[in-house]
Amino acid sequence: MPTSRRSLIKAGLAGALSMPPLRHARAATPANTLHGVMQGDLRSFDPIWTTANITAYYGAMVYDTLFAVDDKYQPQPQMIGKWDLSDDKKTYTFELRDGLGWQDGTPVTAADCVASIRRWAVRNAGGQAIMTHAADLSAKDDKTIVLKLKEPFGLVITALASCTTPLCFMMPKKDAETDPYQQVTGRVGSGPFTFNQNLTRPGSRYVWDKWDKYVPRKDQPSGLAGGKVVHLGQVVWENITDEQTASAALNAGEIDFYELPPLDLLPQLTGNPDLKLKVMNATGSDGIMRLNWLHAPFNNQKARQAMMYLVDQKAILNATFGNPKYYNTNPSLFGYNTPMSNDANTDWFRQAPDPAKAKQLFQDSGYKGDKVIVLQATDFAFMNNSAQLIAGWLQNIGVNAELAAMTWGEVITRRASMNPDDKGGWDIFITYGGGFDFSNPITLIALAANGKKAWFGWPENAAYETLRAQWAAAPTLADQKSIAQKMQATAWDFVPMVMLGSWTQPAAMRKNVHGFLTNPDVIPFWNVSKS
Amino acid sequence: MLSYGCRRLASTLLVMAIVGVIVFLLLHLAPGSPAAIIAGDNATPAQIAEINHQLGLDRPLPVQFGFWAWNVLRGNFGTSIFSDTPVMQLIEQRLPATISLTFVTIVFAATTAVTAGLFAAWRAGGLLDRVLMGVAALGFSVPVFVVGYLLIYLFAIKLQWLPVQGYVPLSRGFWPWFSHLILPALALGLAYLALIARITRATVLEVLSEDYMRTARAKGASSLRQLFHHALRNAGVPIATVIGIGIALLISGVVLTETVFNIPGVGRLTVDAITNRDYPIIQGVMVVFSGAYVVINLLVDLSYTLIDPRIRR
Repeated sequence: MPTSRRSLIKAGLAGALSMPPLRHARAATPANTLHGVMQGDLRSFDPIWTTANITAYYGAMVYDTLFAVDDKYQPQPQMIGKWDLSDDKKTYTFELRDGLGWQDGTPVTAADCVASIRRWAVRNAGGQAIMTHAADLSAKDDKTIVLKLKEPFGLVITALASCTTPLCFMMPKKDAETDPYQQVTGRVGSGPFTFNQNLTRPGSRYVWDKWDKYVPRKDQPSGLAGGKVVHLGQVVWENITDEQTASAALNAGEIDFYELPPLDLLPQLTGNPDLKLKVMNATGSDGIMRLNWLHAPFNNQKARQAMMYLVDQKAILNATFGNPKYYNTNPSLFGYNTPMSNDANTDWFRQAPDPAKAKQLFQDSGYKGDKVIVLQATDFAFMNNSAQLIAGWLQNIGVNAELAAMTWGEVITRRASMNPDDKGGWDIFITYGGGFDFSNPITLIALAANGKKAWFGWPENAAYETLRAQWAAAPTLADQKSIAQKMQATAWDFVPMVMLGSWTQPAAMRKNVHGFLTNPDVIPFWNVSKS
Repeated sequence: MLSYGCRRLASTLLVMAIVGVIVFLLLHLAPGSPAAIIAGDNATPAQIAEINHQLGLDRPLPVQFGFWAWNVLRGNFGTSIFSDTPVMQLIEQRLPATISLTFVTIVFAATTAVTAGLFAAWRAGGLLDRVLMGVAALGFSVPVFVVGYLLIYLFAIKLQWLPVQGYVPLSRGFWPWFSHLILPALALGLAYLALIARITRATVLEVLSEDYMRTARAKGASSLRQLFHHALRNAGVPIATVIGIGIALLISGVVLTETVFNIPGVGRLTVDAITNRDYPIIQGVMVVFSGAYVVINLLVDLSYTLIDPRIRR
């Protein structure tokens, strides 16, 4: 029988009709399991070895801390039951609270905590400051830790409680004695979740189970402090790298939580009545521009001041974030809306952008047409867009600016070079950091100005460094705020860096997810439930 | 035949060795360092240098290569710099998803494309031909991620027939496994389908004008017998070649498809490793990929002898 078009169509229709109906393939996630898509892949399991926030999230589930900040950023005891500071303010005595144990069944001891503090102190600027002032750190008995200082140092509790990565997580002594530059192999902590290695697939999916033997504090949960009561049976992080796919998965109910949906996808999510948004980090992130102090033109103060007048923060923020609801311009060296934010010496901010003034300052600096290399990290929208705008503004006022396009991985290698431009150096690079981190000039190395010991760009100013040391020793928050004003007044004269504005990104989640606590650097999964 | 196979296998090892050297050099000479990524944005140069030292990345390049090559010869591809997991374990965990996706894509694309190409040639110039070749042109023109997003929107969000993303192993049932592969295989297979369909059409069209086809028709062979028994068999070698090339092309397509549909396969492992400068993973995956590529070509060559008995002589 010859095959005709009609017979083919008939056969096709018959085949299609004989197929069983496609079943709804999707299922909502189980009621006591939370499926989330986080800010990135959990590449390392040692929250001391790496500063990656995502590893700090892991750390907060598996490990516990001696102190923790509440939602007002104030330190509160966590693993500590009682603590005391001697009258001469040189001896701290910490007593571990009852009920603490490692997930392998052994008790948490003061010796474990001493080893953990020592390892953390190698990798954390606050920890380094403590150890610089410390005469001795030891375990008096199984439950008591004693820290003796050479002289009073006001930041001990603040540093131990800080949520800036790496956090001071407590580990069993055998893990804590690992070289701080090598990863621990253990995954045993004393936190409210256990890491489920059997169900975890690195790069794809990470699983935690509720640890039933965890004894939470009786206090109300607040930030990272208070009682860590776990309502979920399991937490699963799906590593969905494609933002569009992650949004579609949340829309379809395949995941419950999406930490950082891109702002341009928010309309898709807000249109779904089953979803809600929540800003998890009120202090957001702050963009900064680092200038290379070692070479012309930014080895000259007037050229650096010119950059403050040149930058249009609104244009920079608008280029990447679009919606003004989620960004703010910011003149403060200490970030937007942090405890140390202030407006000392910010006349430039009210005037900027002022390209004519910037041009005049470049001329006053004796600028002779030196090339200005702007490192452009093309794989990060904020860095990419900002670099292009800044290079364009420089060219408009006659500065010989040149973009050097590369990946962020290449930027972080090249920015370490102290060589001049023609030998692989640089003049400007752009980055950003957690807004809350900017409130502490001791733990955030970008706020140091001690020359070649400082962060990339290597700013140097003795008066500012004296104030920074005074800030570290300040006994009260009010004293710190007062010194912060003086630091900023000095900084905006010598210009260690230029602020580019602040932004927040809301998390998106299903409406049946409740109880997420807010914190600047870590997202806790205790207190979270699904209805 | 046996000596031919042995020679080809020997050349496979040579190709893998050359790929190993090139990949190693490219990775280590390119700017960027895993130590800086590990240390974080707030790290000092001294901390980055210390991590570089711990990772052995401050040793001379020939020494690093020597260590790596010696370990690879012993079947040890090293350990991921970040997750501290053996590279072979990571590849083994990811291979089933990639093999599943590749298998379903090939079966879907090859069967659909060969059938479509055959009927397009049979009705050359007609409506069926024009529609099929139009779809083929579309398959070439639209990027895999655009097709992917459109399929997700239609079948997962609007119709809610299929899942948006993810992979379920075959051990958890055929339908859960298959339902997670339908959309990715469609997205990935479209370009591949277009390529095979066009080659099939052109080759069959040429065969249909041969004298032996006229003889078959004169002897009263049915249309289906003419097409499948006579035309397709004689057009088999070019079609097998293009299917082989297509499998190699799939390796690059898999990377994008796995990202769009969140399939935890080897493609995504590679992309993530490149982003993180996780050298051991990149090197390991590249050696495995190059080996697979050469073996596929060998199998395609060997298949010629099965398709066309004249080649055996």
